[in-house]
Amino acid sequence: MLVAGIDIGAATAKAVILKDSRIIGHAVRPVGYDVKIAANEVSREALQDANLSISMDDLDFIVSTGYARESIGFAQKTATEIICHAKGAHFMIPTTRFIIDMGGQDSKAIEVDSEGNVINFTMNDKCAAGTGRFMEVMAHILQVESMTDMGPIALESNDPCRISSTCTVFAETEVVVLRAEGKERKDLIAGVHKAAASRVFAMASGLKCEPDAVFTGGVAKNTGMKKFLENEFKTEFLVPDEPQIIGALGAALIAQTHAGK
Amino acid sequence: MKQYYDDLFSLCGFEDEEINNERFRIKATLEKLELGPEDMERADSWVRQYHDVSLMGVRKLLGAWLKELIDLVLAKEDGKKIVYYGFPAILGPGLMLSASSDKVFVSAPDMVLDHTMGQIFNKLTPILEAGEANGLPPGHAMCSLWQAKIGGVVKGMIPVPDFALASSYYCDMGSKADDLVTAFYGTPMAYIDGIMDSHWGDFPDFLPERVEYLGGQINQALKKAEDVLGIKIAPDAWEKSQENSKQFRGYLVRLVELMKADPVPLSVVELELLEALSGSSAGRGIREGIKAMEILVKELEERVKAGIGVTEKGAPRVMVRLGHTSDPRVTRLLEDCGLAVPLTFILGSFGGVRVEPKGTYNTPGEIIANYEMTGGYYHGTEAQIQFYEKAAGIMRLDGFVAQYLYNCRPVATISHAQKKYLEEKTGLPVLSLEIDNFDSRTHSADSLRTKVETFAEMLKAKKHK
Repeated sequence: MLVAGIDIGAATAKAVILKDSRIIGHAVRPVGYDVKIAANEVSREALQDANLSISMDDLDFIVSTGYARESIGFAQKTATEIICHAKGAHFMIPTTRFIIDMGGQDSKAIEVDSEGNVINFTMNDKCAAGTGRFMEVMAHILQVESMTDMGPIALESNDPCRISSTCTVFAETEVVVLRAEGKERKDLIAGVHKAAASRVFAMASGLKCEPDAVFTGGVAKNTGMKKFLENEFKTEFLVPDEPQIIGALGAALIAQTHAGK
Repeated sequence: MKQYYDDLFSLCGFEDEEINNERFRIKATLEKLELGPEDMERADSWVRQYHDVSLMGVRKLLGAWLKELIDLVLAKEDGKKIVYYGFPAILGPGLMLSASSDKVFVSAPDMVLDHTMGQIFNKLTPILEAGEANGLPPGHAMCSLWQAKIGGVVKGMIPVPDFALASSYYCDMGSKADDLVTAFYGTPMAYIDGIMDSHWGDFPDFLPERVEYLGGQINQALKKAEDVLGIKIAPDAWEKSQENSKQFRGYLVRLVELMKADPVPLSVVELELLEALSGSSAGRGIREGIKAMEILVKELEERVKAGIGVTEKGAPRVMVRLGHTSDPRVTRLLEDCGLAVPLTFILGSFGGVRVEPKGTYNTPGEIIANYEMTGGYYHGTEAQIQFYEKAAGIMRLDGFVAQYLYNCRPVATISHAQKKYLEEKTGLPVLSLEIDNFDSRTHSADSLRTKVETFAEMLKAKKHK
């Protein structure tokens, strides 16, 4: 059985091809301006990665997720990214009971049962602090090539700066001021991580963080963020291989349950 | 001769004769509201898309709001003394003033604008922007209900009031926003002071001192109203004011009974129109609302008998705090995601959740205060949780959507505690959802849909286990 999951997020498009519960191909690319083009391209790349010379129409079932899930015409079903991350994380780490997903535009905390079903969740509202976008803005002003590259630098710091603003725009100003005061770059970067992790911790405060806790989404590729989250939650976070495709993987798993029905 | 607004008003339940009799007033109202033929076309499509116009009762209900709007916009020309009060606040004093003199027009103008310029014409934003430009700037966490009131007045769409009843008894931003009306126009005000909090575990009991204090405040406000408006509160004003509102409430009780059916026969979009009217009109809106309810209840009885509903049979049932006052899309989203909403917090007051009044009081203020105290709204967090808990049993709920406005102290502050305690007490899931119930400019539709859809899927999975 050949199925696919497509996750069109705020910043990146992800696709996973699953054959009989085995990942045989995946792809990640920037969304760009047109979500439909992004969906087509990422699907093509995932098929290529799976060494398949077929089109998406030849697959048994496709599920789309992410904010543009309703716009993917070739998907037979949609599911929210919260449900997909729960399914995907549970598939990769069957002992998963709690998930932090930090994506481009939003962050989520999800409690799951032993079968990977969502039993409680919370998601950021207006605030962008604690999202990939927040980290990208900071990476830009601190002149680090990517959000992911900031992680190892943050881990070098023993004295993270305090970034207290809860608004991304104001936090940016705060970082600029601290930079002008001569604070060390690694301490500033660590401060940014600490601020983002504390926002996520506050957002998730009403949920039970029980082991195994899993960290997914594009930001999970940042090793510094993993550490700062662990400091806040006082628990270890497991990061699955390719944490960015967990939503697409979950969508593919849902597709698998619907294929042939 | 047919006019550009005839089709819309007919869609909203106006009879041809009513349109003809009121042509001059409709035209004058639309001119003041800057509504032209294009706006009627947009409104027609908006209403058909988001309101259940297959029910004549709903159409008449929309018409009731329009009639309230016309009377509000033309109140000065009608030679009325105009009194504004805030929502949610204490309706009683307004009802008594209205019942004491036919020269007085009493209204919650923000709610009227939301339900007409928002729910019908989808043109509330320019009014909100006018409010923002006049003392309630964007980004200052100001409630958009007050922006609608100030914006409507400064744009000249609704008249400057002769008197304002300000109450911080439930909402502490309302009285401050009413101060702006005084600052801009010198409108005299009466402040009804009070405290909404009580000890955990007190409710449904409450201290008589609270009734006496609040009652005293209301009495003072009524006295000031008499002086400013040059009227006398009629000795039978309370009884008279209750004639209409009791009848309306009676229908709401019947409606709550009908909403116990599975599938639920009416959309929460329309529930919101009903519950809001009960707290926003002291005049024609409520009288026309009674006629609409008479039709609607019969139509819904038919639907229940035939097993017709707005969601699938067996859909998870959730209670919400409040529907969206100005944007039906937001409320409709709950049903689009497969959730049935048989009850809102306010409507719960009419269906067995409210407790009986205690004690006997003789002054008008104390009678009103005693009545208001029986609703959990005027108590602390725990009393509200009791309301939800009771409703869960009565309406066979599967969960709660506890919306909160980030800029609303009473609602936002308790939101997360409420989720925790409700989940513990009822064992039912609670979605704590940030949503501005008065302004749809401040949320991301996609983020909202993701949350509601996930919650709906969660409840469906739980139900099918």
